[in-house]
Amino acid sequence: MIEVNQLCKTFRLFAKPSDRLREALGGRQRHTPHHALRDLSFRVAEGEVLGVLGRNGAGKSTLLKLLTGVLVPDSGEMHIDGRVTGLLELGTGFNPELSGYDNITINGLMVGMSHAEINARRQTIIEFSELGDYIDEPLRTYSSGMVMRLGFAVAIHADPACFLVDEALSVGDGYFQQKCMKRIREFKEAGGSILFVSHDLNAVKMLCDRAIVLESGQITFDGDADAAVNHYNRIMARQAEEEEGRHRARHQGVYGSGDVEIVHGTALGVTSDAPMLSSGETLQVSLDLQAHRQVDDLTLGLMIRDRFGQDIYGVNTHQLGQALRLAPGEQRRVTVDITCDIAPGKYTLTLALHSSDHHLDDCYWWCDSYLQFEVAGFGGQPFGGVCRLPIALDLDAPATARDTRMPHASDL
Amino acid sequence: MNLRVPRLFLDSLPLVRQLVRQELVDRHKGSVLGTTWTLIGPLVTILVFVLVFSRIMGARLEGFGAEIDQYTYSIYLICGILPWMAFAKCLERITNLFVAQAHLITKVRLSLKALPLSVLIAESITHLIGMVIFALFLMLVGYPFSAWWLGLPLVFALQCAFLYGLGLCLAVLASYLKDIRETVAVSLQLWFWVTPIVYVADILPAWTQDVLALNPMFHFVGAYRDLIMRQQLPETTGLLVLAAVTAGFIWLAFWLLARTERDLRDSF
Repeated sequence: MIEVNQLCKTFRLFAKPSDRLREALGGRQRHTPHHALRDLSFRVAEGEVLGVLGRNGAGKSTLLKLLTGVLVPDSGEMHIDGRVTGLLELGTGFNPELSGYDNITINGLMVGMSHAEINARRQTIIEFSELGDYIDEPLRTYSSGMVMRLGFAVAIHADPACFLVDEALSVGDGYFQQKCMKRIREFKEAGGSILFVSHDLNAVKMLCDRAIVLESGQITFDGDADAAVNHYNRIMARQAEEEEGRHRARHQGVYGSGDVEIVHGTALGVTSDAPMLSSGETLQVSLDLQAHRQVDDLTLGLMIRDRFGQDIYGVNTHQLGQALRLAPGEQRRVTVDITCDIAPGKYTLTLALHSSDHHLDDCYWWCDSYLQFEVAGFGGQPFGGVCRLPIALDLDAPATARDTRMPHASDL
Repeated sequence: MNLRVPRLFLDSLPLVRQLVRQELVDRHKGSVLGTTWTLIGPLVTILVFVLVFSRIMGARLEGFGAEIDQYTYSIYLICGILPWMAFAKCLERITNLFVAQAHLITKVRLSLKALPLSVLIAESITHLIGMVIFALFLMLVGYPFSAWWLGLPLVFALQCAFLYGLGLCLAVLASYLKDIRETVAVSLQLWFWVTPIVYVADILPAWTQDVLALNPMFHFVGAYRDLIMRQQLPETTGLLVLAAVTAGFIWLAFWLLARTERDLRDSF
């Protein structure tokens, strides 16, 4: 059980390091306070998973550090039954010169296991990490994925009473993540309390009984996980609006003749009403076009790029066979609904207005990364790779004559 | 004052043990000689002092040891230099401890009061190895042993306690001011020369004797020589005052930590 009552934590920002010492020793105040957590109260019962949602800087990491005891709170009470382990300690103390086997001992001690516990669970840990014979090799020969698997395997077998799971879990590959999730569920069923901090909204919905939303160090929502996710999405949407001003400033990259331009645009998930949606949901791109002179052959093009700047999908109105024609001074709203059958991740939308099917003759307006959106988790059927392709699966297909004859090079 | 040992301190002890192991054993993994390196340091120091000062310089001292022979100055030197090396290394490492172990302090629940033990234990083991080699050398040259050797661990324990208090104070300050670390490194060089390790205190003018008495290492080194060479009870007043000073430093260190720990952990 984890019980937190009116927890407060302030960080002090100092102009120079010596000020920190002088104040700590009892001088006058020399710092500017930063309130990381304010009057936080919540309770995680045994066998319960509490999700913690919040933007970057909302106080999630501070909360985890307070609970592990790495930081000391200003005021408030924390009551934790038994040992608490987090993924914060993932791989702490790993020595590259030592074998995986020896590193299990070191990391095990770091997460609070005793020598006896480590020895009893070593075999299970090795099996879980799937390192096989590599376990006797020095850690420096491991790939980063292998090091991480070993770290997880130790953390997840520490068997604390309370387990703090954070974003670190989402680093592994899908298969290993699933394995970890399964283990976390088992841990929950055995009566452990779990605090689950994640940006993977679907994982929060699936795993958590309840969730809290943190904003500027305060709990702004506490309740059912689905409702918390919706609340969080609304915060994100608000942030997106706030950022729009700053965003515009970044759009100095706009170029073109300016005969027609996009004056406003949004990209929102149809169900979430936020620039964050699950894979498989529909993204509605809504654009306000403004013409400054007569344009007869106008093409609107868009390109979705992933965070590496890789083109994922692009199309324009010319390719879709729809002609656009604007009179001088005319304003037009265009909406594009895209079924986002793409892998979870952050994407940008690059938009362009030009003539015919390319921008090389007349480019009116072009802006890289004009809009941004995020695909978080899978709404429907999960898949691997960058996008879902339409497939038809027949598990009981009748054999045809063609299959009975092996093709030969001479046939070709 | 609450005398009960806090749970966090006890919980941290397995980790301290691991850190000691890391320092003495794991550090040398992957090297050909491995743990043997822990032996080589003290061995070389002793050999250098024995060879250089007994054979080459042939220095002789009056008034020490049962009989004066060519090894007397070497023995006098080693009696001082081994505890000094332990002292200097501990102080330097404990001062920098919180900064050096920041990656652990920010990740793992760990008592800051328990952390210096890892340095003290590791260095004590190195010192013990040095003392064993030294004892073997004494046996080899037929130097007489006495029951006073049993007093050595006691004096060394007091030295460690002194280092714990002083080191912890400096470690807290060094987390705030980087200059502390450099200051300690420079001070240790001076400290070495104001302690009668390579010279005999008597060669200094009389007025300096009172000033020398203010140096804790003067009393420690003197006590080791009394036990090993003079084979008599060390001058107890100095040691008792040192014990009181040690208690004072430990109290000061705990007071400093109580005031600064929250802030200290934030600053890493």
